[in-house]
Amino acid sequence: MYGSTNLSEEDAKRMNSTVEDPEKLEAFESRIARGEKIEPQDWMPIEYRKQLIRMIEQHAHSEIVGALPEGTWITRAPNFRRKLALIAKVQDEIGHGQLLYSAAETLGKTREEMLNDLLNGKSKYSNVFNYPAKTWADIAVIGFLVDGAAIVNQVINSKGSYGPYCRALERICYEESFHLKQGHDNVVYLATGTKHQRAILQDAINRWYVPLLHFFGPPDKLSAHSEKLMKWKVKLASNDDMRNQFLDQYVPKIWELDITFPDPNLKKNNDGIWEFSDPDWNEFKRVINGAGPCNAERIAVRKFAEEAGRWVRAALMNPTEKYVAPLA
Amino acid sequence: METLDPRIKRLSLETSTEVEKTNSHLITYEVFHQEKRGKHVTHVGIVHASNPEMALVMAKEVFGRRGKTTNLWVVKTSDVYTFSSEDEEMFETTPEKTFRDPAYYKVRDRIEKFQNKNKV
Amino acid sequence: MSNALKDLLFKMADDALIIGHRNSEWTGIGPMLEEDLAFSSMAQDKIGHAQALYKILNDVLGEADADTLAFKREEKNFKCCQLVEQPIGEYDFSIVRQFLFDHAELIRYDMLTQSSFQPLAQLAKKVKGEIKYHVMHADTFVKLLGNGTEESKARLQTSLNYAWHLALGIFEKSEFENDLISENIFAGEEELKKRWLQKIIPIIEAASLKIPATDESKIVYGGRKGFHSEYLKPLLDEMCEVVRSDEATAEW
Repeated sequence: MYGSTNLSEEDAKRMNSTVEDPEKLEAFESRIARGEKIEPQDWMPIEYRKQLIRMIEQHAHSEIVGALPEGTWITRAPNFRRKLALIAKVQDEIGHGQLLYSAAETLGKTREEMLNDLLNGKSKYSNVFNYPAKTWADIAVIGFLVDGAAIVNQVINSKGSYGPYCRALERICYEESFHLKQGHDNVVYLATGTKHQRAILQDAINRWYVPLLHFFGPPDKLSAHSEKLMKWKVKLASNDDMRNQFLDQYVPKIWELDITFPDPNLKKNNDGIWEFSDPDWNEFKRVINGAGPCNAERIAVRKFAEEAGRWVRAALMNPTEKYVAPLA
Repeated sequence: METLDPRIKRLSLETSTEVEKTNSHLITYEVFHQEKRGKHVTHVGIVHASNPEMALVMAKEVFGRRGKTTNLWVVKTSDVYTFSSEDEEMFETTPEKTFRDPAYYKVRDRIEKFQNKNKV
Repeated sequence: MSNALKDLLFKMADDALIIGHRNSEWTGIGPMLEEDLAFSSMAQDKIGHAQALYKILNDVLGEADADTLAFKREEKNFKCCQLVEQPIGEYDFSIVRQFLFDHAELIRYDMLTQSSFQPLAQLAKKVKGEIKYHVMHADTFVKLLGNGTEESKARLQTSLNYAWHLALGIFEKSEFENDLISENIFAGEEELKKRWLQKIIPIIEAASLKIPATDESKIVYGGRKGFHSEYLKPLLDEMCEVVRSDEATAEW
């Protein structure tokens, strides 16, 4: 659902100081400048590999952790149509995790190493999945708005420079087009339904508003930058631009249902830029660092799944076979 | 631990701190997909599996759960041979060999010239 | 004849709905990502089969629509066998249950392709391919895990022993058995059970597992007549939680 291109201060510093073979670097950079993709067997700068692994891995974790809040409602979906759509949708998130882990594997980190790093906290996932899905309306809002936000991010990232990641994202965007539609359908049913249905929808929108603004990362003026990530087409758009694009696409679709966002300052200016009250970025940091309402539960559930499945994987292992990194 | 997930409530959530040994993982199979009879079989990605039979069973849902499929192939990743990326230059001049290109053969001009000459 | 047909359709639909519901619980927490996807797809298939069967009940036999039958029916009116009601447990139980259930399902649908009741014969022809995959999936894993480690072998054997008498409950006969047979609607549970045993025994052996001894007195019957295990009621309460949270006319 989300591959964060946001750098830590420390990473940004190192990125801007690591020295590479100038000739190879030149060939690599001009390939990217020509609009060609980088494939796994190509030479690439250490930092390029490292940042891509970090980003794709984080994106993959976001998919499989993102399956959890929605998964809580699979057994409670209220009719056949919703039940089938929700199972298929959550299944897709797992499938997208599978595709993304595979893309990251081509860079030389195994799926097991990545999953271990998720569980031991070395590697992050999107903050938005550390919030609970309290009612059925949360499923509608996640399906429509969280997936909407993710698609903004993914469509942009699919224009990046690393071949396997682009291929995975193209497939993901194609598969996810139904997520948005079913999410919107669900939102519309609630908004045009009973008093109770409208009330739970409004409540869910109120709770998801800030996490959605947080989704694209801190404002540009507060983020660490690296020109290189832009030049290498690892990062393709600024946080503020993506956030603005999201608001532009989705806010009107909620307003037309006579549902509000909990922000009196939310409005579109004449220049096309959306204005909103600055969300609490300290909360964003607190949640990233583990203090969100569901961080502990998400990791505990993933840990449970890993451990409960360990005997299965051990039994499937064939010790005579040697692992090699996938090709593409 | 408190959880909102009824599925998880039914399971016991006690976990140890043990992590997977990093050298214990299944091998990968490259997956090829044929959308329709008569179409090429194209590479679509990989699955983790312990034998070809399992790889096919897994590939069906990873790559065949959308749209049309007539068949899937799986090949152990280590059984695929490829050129190295430095060898890409061996292919560089191929597009220049225009004598393989149908557009290279422009007979119409010559025919018209011939016909005009005969008219005179 | 419509009561006999209804009984057959309800038990098949309820089996499919409940096992589909159970298998959907694996979505996101399975032993490996690929297997999550497989279990989830099979859950969708099963729930789809239930929906199609309820639709026949609605279209042809005058019952309520599929959503009402699934989400607004009392526990005692469900006709599923108790095998499908059991919680997912650990993966060994889920895969063994799938193996035992889906072999019966594949043979049942295969028999039904010959049914004199056309809507069912057509449905059977349509979904047979899906169930064929479910069986292929189960056979693959049962064989791999049965021949895997000491632990996996022991776990599968324990689950097989536990599930055996529950699985034999699939073939609980209804009061309409003879009608269904004489009208060429369905060749009957006895025939199904016979073919099922022929099919699964070689696979259990290929998985290096022992075939549990059958004790007729331990076979878990009752489900087909509305007597259920302690697990069905909570399952239905959970499934219907959202529907029950609002007025009956609410559309979701």
